[in-house]
Amino acid sequence: MSTNTIIELNNLYLKSDRGEVIFKDLNFKLTAGQSAVIVGAAGSGKSLLVELLIGRRYPESGSVELFGEVIKPCRKKMIKRIRRKIGGVGGLFKLVPSYNVAENILYPLILTAERKKVRKEQLLKMLTEFSLLKQTGELPHNLTRVENTLVQLARATIANQPLIIIDELLAGLDQKTYQRIYDYLVKLSLSGRSMVILSSEKLTKEVPNTSNYTIMNGALV
Amino acid sequence: MIRIMHILRELGKNIYRNPGTTFSALLSTTLLFLLFDFFWIAAGTSERFYQDLLSDLNMEVFISEDVPDSSLTSRDTPSSLQYQIKSIEGVQSLTYISKEKAREQLSQLVGIDLLVGYDTTNPLPRSFILTFASDYLTTDKLSAIEKEILSLKGVSQVFYSKNWLKKVEKTREIVLKLGMILGILIILTVLISSTNNMRLTARARAVGFQQMRLLGAGKLFLSFPFLIEGFLVGALSGGLGWLIIFYLRQKVVFTKIIIVFPSINDIIIFCILIAVLGSVSGYLGIRRLLKL
Repeated sequence: MSTNTIIELNNLYLKSDRGEVIFKDLNFKLTAGQSAVIVGAAGSGKSLLVELLIGRRYPESGSVELFGEVIKPCRKKMIKRIRRKIGGVGGLFKLVPSYNVAENILYPLILTAERKKVRKEQLLKMLTEFSLLKQTGELPHNLTRVENTLVQLARATIANQPLIIIDELLAGLDQKTYQRIYDYLVKLSLSGRSMVILSSEKLTKEVPNTSNYTIMNGALV
Repeated sequence: MIRIMHILRELGKNIYRNPGTTFSALLSTTLLFLLFDFFWIAAGTSERFYQDLLSDLNMEVFISEDVPDSSLTSRDTPSSLQYQIKSIEGVQSLTYISKEKAREQLSQLVGIDLLVGYDTTNPLPRSFILTFASDYLTTDKLSAIEKEILSLKGVSQVFYSKNWLKKVEKTREIVLKLGMILGILIILTVLISSTNNMRLTARARAVGFQQMRLLGAGKLFLSFPFLIEGFLVGALSGGLGWLIIFYLRQKVVFTKIIIVFPSINDIIIFCILIAVLGSVSGYLGIRRLLKL
């Protein structure tokens, strides 16, 4: 596996908690700077794929490699390290209810023990980018759905995480917000960040450097 | 440093958000440890009382009539009875009571000389009064010494408060066992109640913990505020318990019983152990919520 490979899934076989086969001989590779849009119907295993990528679930057979390291249940420290390189939006990823907007956005930088000056600069940059300056001290339950999404996006990118997982983010958004988030994703893609965008329907607009996949019969095609 | 500041801020938030839970945890553990402290003092005082009682215990060794006085009390002759008894392990002191001394003691005891007319044939036996090192004041050891003394030639009888000693030992054993059971029960109660308090506080934040774990926060990093809170509540409740006791000590005066308090060092060690116990309950309270 080359050093710039972000994700490599080899011959993945996974069953759901109810025993149904979800992935059968699934292979997937994503290199640095590349992104993937994975489309799948409800129940096709998109969320399970996210769980595999963040080390919350392990396959029955096959391997999940992220940033050159194989994810195994016994390697908790490695999983913790890998999770810090991933920014997550939507699906499993939610805001911390007891933290306000600023605390939520800053959390990845707290984990990496970033200097106060850098944290301040980055926070201001994110709040400005997503027009969240007025909401800085608000708790998540006081935010609108769009604001909530924007805060998640800010949190997922503040620490320059090399991989961003976006689960059903664009579904049900109004045209204006869709365009705004789409523009930001394009910006991220052009800046060399890798993204995995999971969606139940095809994106109406193409994101640069992105390959399209569909989950079909337990495999990615 | 940033992470430490974050942990301390989280600790402050925990206490600020749930002051009632923290206060009730502090109050309940203080009361439990107060009970523990009282029993500790009671156990120490009863132990002192027991030791005082034992220090008065002695053994009387009666000598046969046929043993001549000359072979009794020589300290340097190995064949003398005094020498042989004194050399038995555990014997601390030995006092010889002659027939005349025994008669004098009897007169003092009853108030009149009962042996008037027995001037030439005093029927009272000669004896040795033995005292023992504190380590030997147990039923088993005194019984072994008794056997050894009885095997010596010239000893007719040995007497000491054997039954009384057995009863005292039994009572002491019961007090110690009760103390241990009570101690274990109190510690278990504190552990369970503190763990539950922490769990209730933490459960409200379960979703937040899950998200933090997904972002790469470690178990220790997330549990540290709870470990510190447990440590503080433990140390404070232990310290408060002793402060109350020392306050009461100044207000209440005992004239007949000497109350034995643990040393300051023991109290400090106790408070540290409670604080560690508090941390353990903090970890147990949050442990399940950190699984991911």
